[in-house]
Amino acid sequence: MAGKGGAGKTSITGTLARLFAQDGYRVLAIDNDLNPNLFLALGLPAERMRDLPTFPAEIVRQVNGGYELTMSLDEICADCSLAAPDGVTLLVAAQPKQAGTG
Amino acid sequence: MHVAVRSVVDIAPSAPEDVCILDLEASTEHLLVATARHADAMYAVVEPYGTSLETGRRVALLARDLGLPRVALIANKVRGEQDMEAVAEYATANEIELAGAIPYDESFLEADRAGLAPLDYEPGARGVRAIHELAPRLLSG
Repeated sequence: MAGKGGAGKTSITGTLARLFAQDGYRVLAIDNDLNPNLFLALGLPAERMRDLPTFPAEIVRQVNGGYELTMSLDEICADCSLAAPDGVTLLVAAQPKQAGTG
Repeated sequence: MHVAVRSVVDIAPSAPEDVCILDLEASTEHLLVATARHADAMYAVVEPYGTSLETGRRVALLARDLGLPRVALIANKVRGEQDMEAVAEYATANEIELAGAIPYDESFLEADRAGLAPLDYEPGARGVRAIHELAPRLLSG
């Protein structure tokens, strides 16, 4: 899902993810926004902002001019995913930007 | 970070019962499209007015150039027949699929204010119902 800021991309993504899950799909939601708000649109409480697990840089390494993952998806999910309502699994790519924390 | 996300999307399960949904950043269009290159489809959420539609068009064309099998617009915050016609005309004129339209819904803003998911704030809201109607159409084709 792409779009200009404010177009409602994240609200739609979060709502779609929950509805797919309610309809019986296994849903993996990935937040790749530098201002990660998908967790809110999925229905996780705002307090979770402080402890959002994000991808560690070590999950990819460079090989032969390309990249490969150093962990399986199950390992990545076990290490750094969040369980959202309706059984949605959330992965957050970027750390939220907070003043003073870099 | 983008390489990591791209790689995860590449290995995400793709059985019929699996859905992997990626919320891309709002800026740096080239980068965001490259991040999604292993996806089956990319949807650009647009509001029914000029600059938003133009952003959607650019993203859609980049995604198409990159070879994504399906690229489409989703119109959001549609406030009536005139908005709907404007988006549909834009999509047709630019030869981009319009996957669907979601009506303007005040409850999404209220949900945001209340710090709740739209689905938890008002599960029967017309915006939520429109998204539910749209959902299966995003997985087919």
